[in-house]
Amino acid sequence: MAAAQPVVRLRDVTKSYGTGAGRAHVLRGVSFDIDPGEFLALVGQSGSGKSTLLNIIGGLDQPDSGEVEVLGLDILRSDDGRRAKQRNESIGFVFQSFNLLEHLNVLANVTLPASFTHAKRDADARGREALRRVGMSDLAHRRPGELSGGQKQRVAIARALFASPTLLLCDEPTGNLDSETGKEVIDFFRELNAKDGVTLVIVTHERRVSSVAKRVIAMRDGLIVETTDDALAVAGGGPS
Amino acid sequence: MPVGNLARMVAANTWRSPRHFALSAFGIVIGIATFVLFLASTEQVAAVLEKIFPVEQVKVIAPHASLLGKDVSKKLDDSIVQTIENRPEVKQALPRMALAFPAFGRGDFEGNDLRFEVGGFADGINAGFVDDDERIRTMFKDWDADATDKNRVACVPPRHLPDEVIQSPGAPPSNTPKEVKTDWAGNPIPDEPETPAVGSAGSGSGSAGSGSAGLGSGLGSGSAGSAAAPPPVKKKPEKYFNPCPNPDEYYCDESDNRCHHRVPVVMSPTMIELYNSQFAKSHGLPIADEDFVKFMTERGGLSAMRFSIGLGLTTIAGTNTAIQHKPRRVEAVLVGISDKSMPIGMTAPIDYIRRWNKDFLGDEAATAYSSIVVTLKDRNDQAVFDQWLEDTLDLRIEDSLGEKFATVVFVVRVVLLVISFVIIGISAINISHNFFMQVTERRRELGLLRAVGATRGDVRMVVLGEAALIGILGGVMGIVLGWLLAQGVDWASAHYLPRFPYKPTTWFNFRWWILAMGLGFAGGFAVLGGFLPARRASNMEPATALTQN
Repeated sequence: MAAAQPVVRLRDVTKSYGTGAGRAHVLRGVSFDIDPGEFLALVGQSGSGKSTLLNIIGGLDQPDSGEVEVLGLDILRSDDGRRAKQRNESIGFVFQSFNLLEHLNVLANVTLPASFTHAKRDADARGREALRRVGMSDLAHRRPGELSGGQKQRVAIARALFASPTLLLCDEPTGNLDSETGKEVIDFFRELNAKDGVTLVIVTHERRVSSVAKRVIAMRDGLIVETTDDALAVAGGGPS
Repeated sequence: MPVGNLARMVAANTWRSPRHFALSAFGIVIGIATFVLFLASTEQVAAVLEKIFPVEQVKVIAPHASLLGKDVSKKLDDSIVQTIENRPEVKQALPRMALAFPAFGRGDFEGNDLRFEVGGFADGINAGFVDDDERIRTMFKDWDADATDKNRVACVPPRHLPDEVIQSPGAPPSNTPKEVKTDWAGNPIPDEPETPAVGSAGSGSGSAGSGSAGLGSGLGSGSAGSAAAPPPVKKKPEKYFNPCPNPDEYYCDESDNRCHHRVPVVMSPTMIELYNSQFAKSHGLPIADEDFVKFMTERGGLSAMRFSIGLGLTTIAGTNTAIQHKPRRVEAVLVGISDKSMPIGMTAPIDYIRRWNKDFLGDEAATAYSSIVVTLKDRNDQAVFDQWLEDTLDLRIEDSLGEKFATVVFVVRVVLLVISFVIIGISAINISHNFFMQVTERRRELGLLRAVGATRGDVRMVVLGEAALIGILGGVMGIVLGWLLAQGVDWASAHYLPRFPYKPTTWFNFRWWILAMGLGFAGGFAVLGGFLPARRASNMEPATALTQN
């Protein structure tokens, strides 16, 4: 039986910022695959390159060299329109700081991706469904300013799920939440991965998050060490 | 990104920050207000000037030349009109013919017996050329050309100057007073001897209850035949009953003792201004604006605008034109106000003038035109036409004061437009500055839009759309502000500025294209101002934008 096509395929990916002596090499030749349905945790200290790697996978940043293929799309060679379309239809993002638009209500924030597609039909219904899944149906017409941190992150997750993505990219999703709310979010992700088969890539410092992942990739100085068992030790540990 | 979604997003983004909107739109509001105000103002000034000095046509004249005191100027005749009309740059060539012999007008206006010189202040022009309104189109024609006119019945003209009574034909005269003999100009003459001499032949008729608004020149009442007249004797004048069918329009002509339609004439707005500014004040008469005169002339039966013309008579002593016909009275009626009329005087259909010139001066006068009004296909062709005219026909275009004023207005308009463009340009820079700040403040938001599927083009369109919306809203507000200011200026003008010739009821003419241009420039300059910020926003790396604080 042939192996399934990987959702993400990275080969010798490099990325640096700045020029001359001040040039910082953030990624120094990263290669690995992410298979469909995986729950992957990227761990490591600040500046290890994990967020940069997540942005490159999501098409929000471009590598200097290497090969990046996401859901069959060559990120380096495809144009802006195709990358944007892929982000709109197949990839969901969850950020540490939620990134909700304060002038829009909860439902409008969730349906924001529909603004950039012609398939706006049933956007409100799909938005309400996404809110129902994260338990926020009753607050559809509230403004983000009226919500707690946990509620905001749930709205952000609903927005990420709005287009029923294949790949969900989360950058420190529990970083601004208390432990109880953070646990609820992690449980939700685990359920999403187990029941819906959504491929999850989570950048995190937290042991409890990485502990529920099926695979953990630890990074240091732009290089990765792939191991599930001793990932935290390699990365220098983190809060439990 | 679908246009509807873009519009919704742009609107939502604009409403959320009234401060940003106010800061960005302020300059546009001021700039567009001045733009429409200046343009509407110069448009109105140009319209008034064109009313005073028609500039849409050029006037071809023959340079004056004399030999031993005799006029030997080149004669403008039909062959020259035809030659000019055949030029490729000429759209139309219409000759004007001056009334070339003395004539004297008399009418009644608000109880005032007005007398005025007509010779030198009247000309004729092709009837079709004067088509300002429906009444003029209907009335301004050679009525005598219609040989089948059923109203041209036999009649008895008044022998002396009467108070004419306009009433239905056949109605019996009542209370006929003792006849008082007067000359045509209205001066009483002794009973003996009764001689139909030059100067008293025929009788004028001050049309009942009416007059010739604005035509009074007040040149005195002496006529050629009454230089030694005794002081006026108060005697009740005879009443004369116009026997013609439709007496409002027809009069009994003494040349053939038949009813003729009154000679239709038009006057230029200049005459009304002269009347109001000079004549009305000095004679204690009411002010009459153009609308009032039009109203009066359009009132069909109102006899207000009828007057008599004594062909071959004059109020000016010492006139020695060799006329070949005994003086004759005709009745005229003012049918409207037209820019095509001669500026100081009156204009009749050219066939009347041609016939009268022929009767009184001979064939030569009936074939010589005083000028030819030429309409060019393109005003830019004037230089070429001018040169050809001088080289080939030895004629020239009359210096037009209107042309000079139009040039001044054009220059003033350009200066004012430059000022308003500078203001709008500064407001565009202001918009640019505000949007640069906005893009910086909103970089996380713009990064998020990229994360959820916006292309660089989408982000650019969102920023440009916001700039355009601010521009258009600012433009609408600017137009409203400009209009309000115009109302204020007009109100102040009406209440505080003294009356002067051609004083307009409004100083502004907000033509539709001025408003459209105002909106267009507002949107255009705003988009121009938003261009660089939009480019910066679209070039922002979403990953960087999302992580910066």
